[in-house]
Amino acid sequence: MADQQQELARDLGFLEAYTIGLGTMIGAGIFVLPSIAADAAGPASMISFLIGGVVSLLAALSLSELATGMPKAGGSYYYVNRALGGFFGSIVGWGMWGGLMFASAFYMLGFGQYLTYFVPMGATGVAIAALGMAALLVAVNYYGVKETGALQNVIVIALVGLIIVFVAFGVLNVDMSTLRPFNPEGWGAVAATAGTVYVTFIGFEVIATSAEEIKNPSRNLPLSMIAAVVTPTLLYVLVMFVSTGTLSIDLLADSSIPVADVAEEFLGSVGALAMVVGAVLATVSSANASILSAARVNFAMGRDNILTNWLNEVHNRFRTPYRAILATGVFILALIASPVPIGTLAEVASFSYLVTYSLVHVSVMVMRRADPEDYDPAFQIPDVLYPVVPAVGFVASLAILAQMNTVVTLVGITIVGVGVVWYLGYARNQDIKEGLVGEAIAPEPTPATTNGGGDGYRVVVPLANPKTERDLLRFAAASAHAHEDGDAELVAVNVIEVPRQTSLEQDVAFEEERVSRQQELLDQARDIAAELDVGLRTRAIVSHDAGDAILDVVEDEDADHVVLGWRGSRTTREHVLGSTLDPVVERSSCEASLINLASETEPDRVGDVVALVGEGPNAPVTVRRAAEFAAIEDDATLALLNIQAPDADADADASPEERGRDLIERVAAEVSLDVDYDTEVVVGDDVEATALEAVDAYDTVCVGATREGAVSQTLFGSLPETLGERASGTVVMAQGASTSPQSIREAIIERLSR
Amino acid sequence: MAHKPLLDCVFVPIASVEDARATARAVTPYLRDRDATVVVGHVIEKAGGAPDKASVEQRERLAEEIFEVVDDEFANEDISHECHVRYGTDVADTIIDAADEFDADAIVFTPRGGSRWLRLLTGDVSLSLVTQSDRPVVVLPDVEEADTDG
Repeated sequence: MADQQQELARDLGFLEAYTIGLGTMIGAGIFVLPSIAADAAGPASMISFLIGGVVSLLAALSLSELATGMPKAGGSYYYVNRALGGFFGSIVGWGMWGGLMFASAFYMLGFGQYLTYFVPMGATGVAIAALGMAALLVAVNYYGVKETGALQNVIVIALVGLIIVFVAFGVLNVDMSTLRPFNPEGWGAVAATAGTVYVTFIGFEVIATSAEEIKNPSRNLPLSMIAAVVTPTLLYVLVMFVSTGTLSIDLLADSSIPVADVAEEFLGSVGALAMVVGAVLATVSSANASILSAARVNFAMGRDNILTNWLNEVHNRFRTPYRAILATGVFILALIASPVPIGTLAEVASFSYLVTYSLVHVSVMVMRRADPEDYDPAFQIPDVLYPVVPAVGFVASLAILAQMNTVVTLVGITIVGVGVVWYLGYARNQDIKEGLVGEAIAPEPTPATTNGGGDGYRVVVPLANPKTERDLLRFAAASAHAHEDGDAELVAVNVIEVPRQTSLEQDVAFEEERVSRQQELLDQARDIAAELDVGLRTRAIVSHDAGDAILDVVEDEDADHVVLGWRGSRTTREHVLGSTLDPVVERSSCEASLINLASETEPDRVGDVVALVGEGPNAPVTVRRAAEFAAIEDDATLALLNIQAPDADADADASPEERGRDLIERVAAEVSLDVDYDTEVVVGDDVEATALEAVDAYDTVCVGATREGAVSQTLFGSLPETLGERASGTVVMAQGASTSPQSIREAIIERLSR
Repeated sequence: MAHKPLLDCVFVPIASVEDARATARAVTPYLRDRDATVVVGHVIEKAGGAPDKASVEQRERLAEEIFEVVDDEFANEDISHECHVRYGTDVADTIIDAADEFDADAIVFTPRGGSRWLRLLTGDVSLSLVTQSDRPVVVLPDVEEADTDG
């Protein structure tokens, strides 16, 4: 069923993906830019378009690989954020958003300029027409006015047809003498003009942002992207050839409707009118696609906690991301109304996208090197072209950026600055993902270091229930005491969870009762810690999500161990352990212990402790935990237990008992266990049943967490869960420090220390 | 005498979170204690070639939210139900196909209101359902709106 739905969600074939790309690509650019480009670089500006096309082709290849590996909404932003982390993610997210706003404003002014063909009007009239159309487009997308694929196809076919007719008749009419001098301003101007016209090439990104909707993406995605770059590039170069070969540079530069003026020369007023209609369709379709793309970028940023999800609320009736659309719309209107010249709008959009694509190229290389498990792109840049494509693409993007004029560079850098400031001031404090650069730099995948902090051993204990508080702190203190070499301490946390709809401050005012209960709980924790002779700090937190809040504390405190209470049962179909525990167990990088107390009503007795020792990666940490807890009470005992399946074939080297003993000794040696312990090996077919029976004699059971995916756990259950649910004693589920992505700093340090 | 059943197996299309709450409350009195099969569906509208208004992933999240609200509302009433997402370019057609797929006795929904203009622009799913469905369509009044109006 899931597969079938997946297929149904994918409704774009090659042709649809190609037309979506073309619809955005063949936009205002080619109808407006000929005058600006000719003014800047003369007939040689056709080379600028060619350069833009080649740079885009490189980006299309890199994007195809990333998009088929990570078919998620958000396009370039998502890939960069995943590969390079939140800092660059924030830069690209804001860059794309800003770039799309500037591009939309540029398209709309171009629309206004072409209207002057019908109604002669000055700059103010053009701006008013642009404002009106922009507002209309925002409304169309806000209200979710239905657009169909058929309409989209008609527009794109009409546009391509018009341009082909324009080129076909125009070529016959080109006067070679007007093409001379070919390159009046020099190659520097040609390169700079490539930057100016790059805005006409940003549309193919739309295909990548729709990757999740494309059928057979390994074939259709790269193919449609390459086709959506090559077709317009050829058309643009030819349009420039015809334009600069028909009108003198001066006439062309003065025209605000260049393509129509050129067509007038050889197709008469009918031709000019057709071009005006084409320009109107093109500008509107490009701006429309840009506004929707911007909303997707907002959504993707919100999904990664880089932007507030408030923006991404879907309208109850229209089912559109109305806030994101309105926000984008307001900026577009402001840009149109501002005195920024149309050429500068285009250049700033180009700047943002060149920055984006340069980072996209870096991301491809990082993803290939880091090679995370869930990244398996269906399309890969062919071996002969790798790493040439991303390397050349990166350098070429930067080279064009370097040619752009000062004003544009300043505005562009300001947008990058917004991303940086946003990251430092906001995003960094949210729960965002670490990039994979560290993984790519690291000599080879390494298990994360066990002890996070260099200073004292720190145990974080989230507390919620006054009845279980004492026992949890007792276990936590045992772990702290075992690391007395530093200044071990406990950090007690309590989280007041408030619904997402309410702001944090607002809710707290109404929740005095919960706040005072929180204070009581934490005061009590201080008293207990004094009794247990262990240092304790408390943290009272109000958050929308308890799991996230606990994770933040764990990270913030550089904790070595987090001790959590656990009810010992599965809760719902979505959560294995509980909505709060799941994220903490899955994502915390330090060691974690989940403790299911035998009884909530009376103080727990540690008594006889047993650790289940298996082959799993958590066996050592389980044994360590068991030893720590056994040290709490003077009369407590410690046993290590292993379960073996009965021998299938008689000629195995060792009996099951011997194998079990070997394993236990090995693990005990690994953690250099220096206390007395009993060894017990039980043989049985059914691991679960055998384990349940064997641990019945003990008061406290330690078992390693199974680190399978949440899905397989919900489907098949897991041993720790079964024990938690059914064993009569206290059950501790232990998990070692995780192998979360290495930070860049760690990876570099590690590399240097080799 | 055996009647052809009308509400033994119903398909309940839901458009939004708000709709989820209203619809669940509206259908509850008719389905409670009847051992009925309730299939709840949310349609993600595809533009079929034009760019969608919102990304599919974003709207799949919305579907999750909707289903959670339905789960909550029905959990109190102990009405057994299942939730499904369907994708289609025409919402009404997709609902009718889904009702067919689950062999529902009827399609049950509460109308979402809205002015004539809005319906013209955004498509009138209620009208299409009533006029195009090949199986009974039961339109229930929105309980809360009726309460506040009265």
